Amino acid sequence: MNGAIVERFGAVVAGIVVAVVSFYSLYKDWHAVGVENNVFKLMLFLLGVGAILAILAGLNVIGFTAS
Amino acid sequence: MTAATLAHDAHGDVDQLYIETRELRLQGFLLFLISDCVLFSSFIFAYLYMRNSGQGWPPPGIHRLDVPFAAWNSVVLFGSGATMHYALENFKHGHWMRYMIFLLATIVLGAGFLAGQGYEYTHLIYGEHVTWAGSGIFGASFFTLTGMHGLHVFIGVCYLTVLVLQSSAGVYTRGKYFGITAGTLYWHFVDVIWVVLFSIFYLI
Amino acid sequence: MSVAAVHPGGIADHIHPEPQGFVRRYVFSLDHKIIGIQYIITAFVFFMLSGLLAEVIRTQLLNPNGGFVSSDTYNEVYSVHGSAMVWLVIIPLLTGGFGNLVFPLQIGARDVAFPWLNMLSFWIFPVSGLMLFASFLMGAPTAGWMEYPPVSLQGAAGTSMWCAAIFLVGVSSTMTGINFVVTILKMRAPGMTFTRMPLFCWGQFATAPLLMIATTALAAALAALFIEREFGVPFYDPTKGGSPVMWQHMFWFYSHPAVYIMILPAFGIISEVLPTFSRKPIFGYKLIAFSSMAIALAGFMVWAHHMFTSGLAPFLQLPFMILTFVIGVPTGIKIFSWTATLFGGKIHFSTAMLFALGFIGLFTLGGITGIFLAAIPFDLHVHGTYFIVAHLHYVLVGGSLMGVFAGMYYWFPKMSGRLLNETLGKWHFWLFFLGFNGTFIPMHWLGMLGMPREVATYDPQFAFWNRFESVASYLMAFSILLFFVNVLWSIRNGKRSGPNPWGGRTLEWQIPSPPHYYNFKHIPTVYGLPYDFAQPLPYKGLDEELTDSPPAVAAGAH
Repeated sequence: MNGAIVERFGAVVAGIVVAVVSFYSLYKDWHAVGVENNVFKLMLFLLGVGAILAILAGLNVIGFTAS
Repeated sequence: MTAATLAHDAHGDVDQLYIETRELRLQGFLLFLISDCVLFSSFIFAYLYMRNSGQGWPPPGIHRLDVPFAAWNSVVLFGSGATMHYALENFKHGHWMRYMIFLLATIVLGAGFLAGQGYEYTHLIYGEHVTWAGSGIFGASFFTLTGMHGLHVFIGVCYLTVLVLQSSAGVYTRGKYFGITAGTLYWHFVDVIWVVLFSIFYLI
Repeated sequence: MSVAAVHPGGIADHIHPEPQGFVRRYVFSLDHKIIGIQYIITAFVFFMLSGLLAEVIRTQLLNPNGGFVSSDTYNEVYSVHGSAMVWLVIIPLLTGGFGNLVFPLQIGARDVAFPWLNMLSFWIFPVSGLMLFASFLMGAPTAGWMEYPPVSLQGAAGTSMWCAAIFLVGVSSTMTGINFVVTILKMRAPGMTFTRMPLFCWGQFATAPLLMIATTALAAALAALFIEREFGVPFYDPTKGGSPVMWQHMFWFYSHPAVYIMILPAFGIISEVLPTFSRKPIFGYKLIAFSSMAIALAGFMVWAHHMFTSGLAPFLQLPFMILTFVIGVPTGIKIFSWTATLFGGKIHFSTAMLFALGFIGLFTLGGITGIFLAAIPFDLHVHGTYFIVAHLHYVLVGGSLMGVFAGMYYWFPKMSGRLLNETLGKWHFWLFFLGFNGTFIPMHWLGMLGMPREVATYDPQFAFWNRFESVASYLMAFSILLFFVNVLWSIRNGKRSGPNPWGGRTLEWQIPSPPHYYNFKHIPTVYGLPYDFAQPLPYKGLDEELTDSPPAVAAGAH
């Protein structure tokens, strides 16, 4: 029970950091050209989405658990 | 980066041959990632197919997976994606020390993710007696997919370690660093696959 | 990345130092032409072996009660026959073999994009082939080339070997696919735009993504089957919650595109042979090119038409049926374009042309029975009968293999510098054509009457036609023997061909036969389509190719 709260807290805080960093990098790289940079942009976007999912899971909005 | 811009900020160490083979290698590597993506997609299809043909999920007798821990562990892996991005950025701008720090941070976070997965496996196998072969389609799909992803992360950690060694030996210069680009692409790919796996195993 | 990034003089216009010594030249060669020939030789060896297995099948079926081999052996024989013909013969011949040999020459490149990867993917192929045939030693797979669970789960130890072998040959195909896509995208000669590429290159360009994407899906299915057989992890076993139908989905998601992997390069070969021997521009160049891409794309969306009897939801059956009908349209476009190419042409009936013409006829028959089978009511009637066997052999033998033979007679001079013997070649064609039709035409009505496939004995009422088929199949085997004799004889004694024996207009005919290891002295510049026989050749920079002068770019080590 206690451990779960620590994990949730960590997921939310670190998730916010990661989401902000990925979307900020995406914003900065928006005008970069070239194949690999476009792939990077897509991947940064998905990374940000993943971080948001982790935040929501940490807040128990999605992926409900019994506790 | 196009061939032209690369040639433009060349530092005397980039020849035409490198620029051209770099294009080929980049495309080949992206195509490899696409076919790897199909490999994961097939297993994901198999998982969703089995999940929807059974009697509810998780099957009777098996607890839901531990979401808070997985969320925390996922953030560790996503964070490593962000540090890898900054490692490449810093290398491009010539900040060698910062590049090294971010690269090492990526390795540490990736290894941390693997350790977390190991902890989760141990907990499942010894705590809840959910095993690969003995727990029906749940164990089969969960351990196969996450294990395959874990293997990819492990390969990625090895690749990045090689990058550290190569960079220390001065293999990469400001003009020639395709190995680092490929490593970044691969690492991002592994992260993004985990976004999908995390959603389908823990969140739905 | 735009096409404009292709640099004048071709990408990375440099020549590797000439390989020295027998091993580097002919065994572990990096040269795409040598690798192509290696593929062709290896695949023909496997072709002989699995052809022998086919004759075992036909000999068994001479009598309604069989008696030539036991039923278990019969199961092993037809399973390995099918697997080997698909993965070790037709696919390697058409992609690794003719693809490697011809298309880098046709786009004006010095080699493929990744020569080392090319060598690796070749050397995986014979190893996996040996593994597949070695499975006989430990009990070969017995569930047909599709290896449907649960039968394949209960098969002998060789079934796991089969999984590993097909997985490996899949890895080889995937690497070939990646290599070809990058080569065609990046290494075309200056001026060789997509709409000026020869149609064989279009065939390869449509096939390579299929190799790259579909094969990986098969790899997943095979890995799961292997894991289930060896470690008991349930994927397909219904008693443990798995689903055998899932294998069918994953298998056909690969294997239906694989059908197009096996036919699109053959379409390309036919599209090269027909204009050359009718001395007429190909009719509807763009339609042929784009219909290949359309077939490749649509090929991913029709896999479940193999599963109409597997309990597919009815609301899914109808779209799959309609999409399958739709694939008939681009295929029909091709057939009409080829026929229109022949119309009014000055046709020269060389052996290659005979095979191309035979291809059109037989492939059309196979395609039409394919349309029959796409219709659900008809498919429910003939599913699992000899009608299917007839259909797939008309497409794979009458289509792909005829294409392979057309390509062999057409490009053999480019490989060896000598022509294949035309008289023997014509005997080969006519005996093959008669033997093939004699073997497979009766299967249509046998199947309609309900003779099941993959069974070692049959009802005595089918005895006459089965004997007829078996005798005809011996004729076919004899004609193949003539072909091998022809090849072996012509390598030493064939008439010297010179650079361009057929008056072909694509780039590979403008350089000596066999070509130098660097292909072109100068990378040529391309100004138009190769097929306009009334115009001068649309290339510049080829003046020195047939002289003794050294190449323009010095060989240097990298």
